[in-house]
Amino acid sequence: MSSQTASHRIPRGSLASGGAHLWRLQRSERLAGYLFALPITVLFAVFVGWPIVFAIYLGFTSWSGFGTPTFTGFANYARMWNDPVARQAFVTTILYAVATTVLQTVIPLAIAVLLNYVWRGLSVVIRTILFIPGIVSFVVSGVLWKLIYDPNLGTLNKALRGLGLDSLATNWLSNSATVVPAIIVVSLWGAIGTNMLIYFAGIQGVDPSFYEAASIDGAGRWQQFRFVTIPSLRVVTAIVVSLNLMNGFKVFDIIYVMTGGGPSHASEVFGTYLYSLAFGSTAGSIPQLGYGSAFSVVVMLLCGVAVAVQVVLTRRAQR
Amino acid sequence: MHSITGAGPFGSAFARATLDRRTLLKAGVAGLGAAATASLLAACSGGSASSSSGKATVRLWSWYTEQKDTLPKVIQDFEDKHRNIKVNLRIFGTPDQYLPALTAAVSGGDVPEIFAPHVRAITYGKQGISADLKKELGSDFLKDFFPAENEEYSDGGKQYAIGWEAQTFGIFYNPDLFAAAGVDGEPETWDDLIAVAQKINATGKSSVAFSANPGTSALDFFLPLITQVTDDPTYFLKLDQLEKGYKWTNDPVVKALELNDKIVKANVFQKGTTGTSGDQATQLFYTEAAAMLFAGSWIPAGLIQNATPDFVKKYKIMRTPAIKSGARHWTADQAGAGFAVSETSKAKDAALELVKYLYSPDVYSKLMNDSSSMPATRSAVERVTSPQIKQMASWLPDGCPHIPFGAGSSAAGDPLTKIFDQKASPAEVAKQMQTAVLNARG
Amino acid sequence: MTTTMARTRLSHADRAPLIGQRRRRPAPLARSFAAFILIAIAAFTVFPLIWLVLTSLRPQNTIFTGPIFPTHLTAAAYPKAWVSTGFAVHFVNSLWITTATVVGVVVFASLAGYAFAKLRFPFKNVLYVALLATLMMPATSLIIPLYLQLRSIGLLDSQLGLLILYISSSAPFSMFLMRAFFETLPDELVQAARVDGASEFQVFRRVVLPLARPGMATVIIFQFLQTWNEFLYANTVLQDTGKLPLQPVLFSLMGQYNTDWPTLTAGLTMSIAPVVLVYVWMQRQFVAGLTLGAVKS
Repeated sequence: MSSQTASHRIPRGSLASGGAHLWRLQRSERLAGYLFALPITVLFAVFVGWPIVFAIYLGFTSWSGFGTPTFTGFANYARMWNDPVARQAFVTTILYAVATTVLQTVIPLAIAVLLNYVWRGLSVVIRTILFIPGIVSFVVSGVLWKLIYDPNLGTLNKALRGLGLDSLATNWLSNSATVVPAIIVVSLWGAIGTNMLIYFAGIQGVDPSFYEAASIDGAGRWQQFRFVTIPSLRVVTAIVVSLNLMNGFKVFDIIYVMTGGGPSHASEVFGTYLYSLAFGSTAGSIPQLGYGSAFSVVVMLLCGVAVAVQVVLTRRAQR
Repeated sequence: MHSITGAGPFGSAFARATLDRRTLLKAGVAGLGAAATASLLAACSGGSASSSSGKATVRLWSWYTEQKDTLPKVIQDFEDKHRNIKVNLRIFGTPDQYLPALTAAVSGGDVPEIFAPHVRAITYGKQGISADLKKELGSDFLKDFFPAENEEYSDGGKQYAIGWEAQTFGIFYNPDLFAAAGVDGEPETWDDLIAVAQKINATGKSSVAFSANPGTSALDFFLPLITQVTDDPTYFLKLDQLEKGYKWTNDPVVKALELNDKIVKANVFQKGTTGTSGDQATQLFYTEAAAMLFAGSWIPAGLIQNATPDFVKKYKIMRTPAIKSGARHWTADQAGAGFAVSETSKAKDAALELVKYLYSPDVYSKLMNDSSSMPATRSAVERVTSPQIKQMASWLPDGCPHIPFGAGSSAAGDPLTKIFDQKASPAEVAKQMQTAVLNARG
Repeated sequence: MTTTMARTRLSHADRAPLIGQRRRRPAPLARSFAAFILIAIAAFTVFPLIWLVLTSLRPQNTIFTGPIFPTHLTAAAYPKAWVSTGFAVHFVNSLWITTATVVGVVVFASLAGYAFAKLRFPFKNVLYVALLATLMMPATSLIIPLYLQLRSIGLLDSQLGLLILYISSSAPFSMFLMRAFFETLPDELVQAARVDGASEFQVFRRVVLPLARPGMATVIIFQFLQTWNEFLYANTVLQDTGKLPLQPVLFSLMGQYNTDWPTLTAGLTMSIAPVVLVYVWMQRQFVAGLTLGAVKS
């Protein structure tokens, strides 16, 4: 399109030259950009931005919820450094986030691939079934699985005993060795469907001619998968990885409902610890909102890392 | 490449193009304006203590689900008698659902008129959030309550909350399984209980089902042992507040831990107490996998709901064993369920009216009986109809503390679980308790 | 010879459906093996929910004492759940709040997502990163600040306040999704429309939005799910029980010492129904759309 033809469509009131038209276009684009983003920004500033700032501020104070907070500088962070529960929770948080991310990225991908092998009707049915756990909230799935893991009356141990594997039938949620893996299984149960759907669509969307080209070059199925499918999924994977990481760092509902952070803090993560400090019925008589907020700041920093990871992965994928 | 838009539609709509931006702006402003007006309207209608119609609104918040079905009717009767008071009853499911709402309300300076104070009764009182009920309701009103309830909620001569439901702990047992193991009568001391446990274990059943999960449940069993060792129910109250000279490493605590350790070592409890939640322990009992259950007076109502009718007819209850023959059967008995009144609310007077009504002898007694709960007042205890509740209430005079109210005290529960897991010695656990409590105090 | 065969294969490819499998049929053994694994996984996925429904049909005192498959079924819990929780009122609350949230989120997230994807304006990246901060804070740490914020604006204990809260905290994530989606659309589309004289808003509304249906379907499903299941904020911000949505009311059936399992599971089963409906309705849009977005002309 030459600037000459463009000038036929010049909006009323602007200068009759291509350059000015371009300038006007930029201005209207800028204005539109701001206007479109305005509602979300205003709502964000009032109802998300400000509370986040306030929560960060609280991390530098000591506050029991009534009266005004007392400024204490970095005291909360120093306390966190020396608090054995916080240290343990930190390790558990990282482990949990990484483990769930790896599992919830790899397994749904594998399932999406498998879905390509079976006939279409079955594929649709399986996809629907796998999505169903995502329909219930984490609280509900926590409650359900807590009953399944019940050492005496839960279906898991009943099944194990029925199969003669008595020795495996342990106290899943109160054995400090098995509690975190048991919770990871529940997280996986809830996340398979959603993550898998994203991958499935991604695989479906890969241009068939790429596979053609590859098979003409003599590539077998596995090689096609490795050199066509996987690279095409890089961007999607980057998003899935960073979202799962962030959810892992922030996790609260599912662990709190099943174990409350126990036994003896074996499943304590930052999300549950900060809740106990602020509201917990087991935390004692004085809510520690300042100290709890310090933990949320650390979680926020960790999530920042996750976002950075995604940006790096995306940049590399686009290269 | 073809242009999807084509020249036509946009060419003709071109005249509207510039207007569109302006209309968008107008729409945006109108929208924000509408939202602002709506929020103002909402603020006007969003309830506060007293509204323009002259009615006082009293909010009543708790998690006492045992009265979920029976309390609304009582409230309705109250409202009929007091036409100028409206009551908003809110019963949450568990303390974990309740506490965020309460904490938020307190931090916003908008404390519900009547609320369950949980373990924060004294803290809130000292902060001026809950009213001094001794002043508001008078000492005569308080006289009817059991001493333990009043003590747990009072500080410096002021009464910051009153007990709603009392609670005692005891051992529920299954006479059939006792008979099958050749056990006669009820054990009086811990040593007797240990002997009974050996017989029961021999039949393949667990002896005492108990939940040491979370750690604070384990404290329900352990803390009364401190009273038994010292024969002094105020010892723990002082330890709880970490008064001068009181530490978790003191001798009485260690002795109590040693007693606890002895009981665990003798296989009195089922395997995996630290992995058993309260629900699960009760299940063990009514599915007859365990012959006994150490738990509190909320159990009878739960058994009616969950166990088979035959089981409900046959189970029995006995007292917490004593430390030696003839000694007092010190029994855990603090009221976990109480009510505090907001000091700062405008509807305080209306709230006090409701409190007086709820505790009026006929109303209170009927409500407690209908919900199979143990009352907190002596006069109501006399009118208890449920035989199980009556029996458990008779132990109230030997009550002793078992709830950690002090800042950080509940953290002692975690090291305690090591005794139940046999992972540390009593002396070590005592040290860890002291450290954990100090750590949680901050 | 290779070229003719290649050409033949290419034409098969052209005729193959866009949404479907690769043209070569996998070996039957591979196919059965895959089916076996998938069915096992599906069974693992679905059985807790079967347990949920079964529990709602049992008499209360057989939940832990009875066998896995109940001998005695009773639907008594359903009317009880309906009446004792005031199900209808809270269901309507949930429905209107969730629907309004979804509408608000879709509108704001699409507008903003498009702006971040296709429009250029200063501070765009700064704003984008700031909005991402919404995803980085645990929800529990924001309850008290949000409560205080709502209170100072006067929106406490109002469904409108809760609605605004939901939209504000969920729109950024949906914006994130919509932006990713819009980025897959070619820039030429926008340029062409602009050159044709359309205003930015018209470009958005007439050209881009119709193509955005799949992305919007995704946002609708996820947002509906998330808002329908939300519990913590609703429980804290709303005080009047009549205003509460469904989830907090259902969870109050879980007592500290006793839980009425049949009634609770009956209530939960009934509450899942609308979500399933929305999912099924959006399903076709969802999968169809995601692939459409990826296929370039």
